[in-house]
Amino acid sequence: MFAMDGIAAGLGVALTPSVLLYSLLGVCLGNFIGVLPGIGAMAAIALLLPITYHIGPEAAIAMLAGVYYGAQYGGAVASILLRLPGTPQSAVTVLDGYPMARKGRAGLALFASMISSFIGGMLGIAVLALLAPVLAGWATAFGAADYAAMMVLGLVAASTIGAGAPLKALAMVVLGLILGTVGTDVNSGAQRFIFGTPQLMDGINLVALAMGLFGVAEVIGNIRAADRQGTPEPMGFRQMLPRPGEMRTLIAPSLRGTAVGSFFGVLPGTGSTLSSFMAYAVERRVSRTPERFGEGAVEGVAGPEAANNAAAITAFVPTLTLGIPGDPIMALMLGAMVIHGIQPGPMMLEAQPAMFWGLVISFGIGNLILLILNVPLISIWVSMLRIPFHWLYPAIIVFVCLGVYSVRGSSFDVLAVAVIGAAGYALALARFSPALLLLGFVLGPLIETNLRRAMLVGRGDPMIFLERPISAIFVAATVALLGWTAWSAWKARRRG
Amino acid sequence: MTRMTRRTLLAATAALALASGAAAAQDWPSQPVHLVVGFPAGSSPDTLARLIAEPLAERLGQPVIVENKPGAGGGIGVQTVAAATGGHTFGTTINGPLTTSPRLSPELGYNVAEDIAPVSLIATSPLVLGVNAETGPADLEAFIAAAAAGPEAIAYGSVGQGSGAHLTAELFADAAGVEMLHVPYTAYAEVTTAIVGGEVDAGFMAPSAAQPLVEAGTMRILGTTSPEPSPLAPDAPVLAGAAGLPADFSAELWNAFIAPAGTDPAVIERLNTEVNAILADPAVAERLLGMGWKAEGGTPEELAARIEADTALWGAVIDRIDAKAE
Repeated sequence: MFAMDGIAAGLGVALTPSVLLYSLLGVCLGNFIGVLPGIGAMAAIALLLPITYHIGPEAAIAMLAGVYYGAQYGGAVASILLRLPGTPQSAVTVLDGYPMARKGRAGLALFASMISSFIGGMLGIAVLALLAPVLAGWATAFGAADYAAMMVLGLVAASTIGAGAPLKALAMVVLGLILGTVGTDVNSGAQRFIFGTPQLMDGINLVALAMGLFGVAEVIGNIRAADRQGTPEPMGFRQMLPRPGEMRTLIAPSLRGTAVGSFFGVLPGTGSTLSSFMAYAVERRVSRTPERFGEGAVEGVAGPEAANNAAAITAFVPTLTLGIPGDPIMALMLGAMVIHGIQPGPMMLEAQPAMFWGLVISFGIGNLILLILNVPLISIWVSMLRIPFHWLYPAIIVFVCLGVYSVRGSSFDVLAVAVIGAAGYALALARFSPALLLLGFVLGPLIETNLRRAMLVGRGDPMIFLERPISAIFVAATVALLGWTAWSAWKARRRG
Repeated sequence: MTRMTRRTLLAATAALALASGAAAAQDWPSQPVHLVVGFPAGSSPDTLARLIAEPLAERLGQPVIVENKPGAGGGIGVQTVAAATGGHTFGTTINGPLTTSPRLSPELGYNVAEDIAPVSLIATSPLVLGVNAETGPADLEAFIAAAAAGPEAIAYGSVGQGSGAHLTAELFADAAGVEMLHVPYTAYAEVTTAIVGGEVDAGFMAPSAAQPLVEAGTMRILGTTSPEPSPLAPDAPVLAGAAGLPADFSAELWNAFIAPAGTDPAVIERLNTEVNAILADPAVAERLLGMGWKAEGGTPEELAARIEADTALWGAVIDRIDAKAE
């Protein structure tokens, strides 16, 4: 019926030489771009967009989507090896990936990220293919109050992801929330903390913040410690394979990460950056040995990487069925579809089955190519570490500047990266976790917008958060989590 | 004698100036032309700019480079055009940055009348009033009656404080003598989802945003803000004159081609000619229609008059909103 006919038509589309070729081009380019620190999929897709005017819509979307999920694979590489996230989505991979690399387990970390990315991507495709029509209705049922309650739960759940003093962690989350308030007030249109700078009217640029905090700050730190020439040994293929038993430890985190990533991917407007943070928080919560996190726990790599790949794919559900892009990259892809006269909406799956299934199948092929491409490349990526620092670091700074500039052609953002980088270095010296700042920054505006929207819709009555079943569940879960945390802290103190 | 000399000199200078002006215009464009858009690549204004840029490059014999300067609701793009020098940087923009932004965001620092030279209108789009097909009112009379029940009886969504959708709804509310609750979103797709999901009751939106939901049977259009039925929403009744609304009720979104003030008038004229010729091409008009825009064109003076009229119209609406807020 629906699926069978669709799959047949989709195979016809996905196996067209031009679609295959452009998809291949997209994943390779995306993978490469993702590896380069600073330059994300956004830049590549914006550059490729004019080409898409001249090729068919299926080939165009297959290529752009290939860049998008290809970059999610590549983004982990620099996070793990250099503590420089290739994309904001892989910022959280730094937390455990980098300690693993320093312990000589870079190969395993990279392997884990590739395998979990593959699992997340493939299962995400299954979710997209089988559940898209159902999930589209589900996403419509989510109102502002539900989003706000969910984000608060996310904030509480994830606030403990950084290692170190709880007060310092809290300080970073709050600083992130404060930075998130910069820009135009959604309800009144008032300008907040922009100091007469129109470039700040849309807020601080996420890419500039992520690259400054992680990329530039790390480079400054390493210049000071330039004697840290502890380059890892060259690695053979065998060495980077997991030890017996380690492969099994990857499966469960990947599955949990996929679930988290799919959940956030389907909900419009939440973005894949958030999904990787949440997957990390989940891994830490379910672990019997949470103290290993931040010291090189392989679950801390596998969970988030599965999550951001699953989210990258499932984000097509709201994009195609509601026309709401989850992040700026999806918005670009939406634009590419509209150029070709494809109007996303509830009817899209029925009106364009060949297009939909063609994309689904081409995503599957693309993920397979990425896995085949990346596993042999791991040893090459690791050899990046042997590039002398006086070559590597200037190159990184150049890539970061290029990447940040490319987001919206703003030289202001490049200056912002410099300032944020200096501040990030100061924070690193004082042992504050930049990941938590980024989390607060991503979540803050989401919570604020939805909270205030819910209050408007509820005509000022906060009971809206308890009257709506979805939001009531999240509120209850948040209270339970806070209570449980307080109780276990109290118990630990009595015991100690 | 002296008088003669002076007059001759004056005439000669004038002729020389004319000649050099003509020569400059003839040489123009001597280098690639930049077309600034205040929205990101892939957005609707960007797609429109690229649609114009391609034939424009052919006609001018120079590459036309679309430059995205997103931010501040298109304001950064117009700011970039206002500050441009060198005679080869122009822009396309939506109406907001030319009519309401200087007032709503003074930090942008440009003055449309002093810093921008209008070239040509490109295209217009009405806004349509959409409601939930299942639970919403059946027609405009029922809608206004429901809104008249109380100051916040009806909640409507817009794409942001001060956006065209917000100001149009306030213009409508004032004309209908009702007060509605404004709930700002950031994109039309969010507004339509909120209407279908029942979070808000209504919203003014671009017809292209409403179309897929109307086809799916989840949204109903109660009317269009254009003075005549629009090809973009052929089935939508005209709001003007209906259900007690004034006969001259009208609000349109538009897109225009602009240049920095001080651009050689000959260059403006050349650009106006080329843009109008491009818009006259039926293939271009059809592609614009597919993207949700009705091709228009016109003289620089007509665009200047439109900017002035809309600045006054929306200025009055903003005055009322400000007065209500205080």
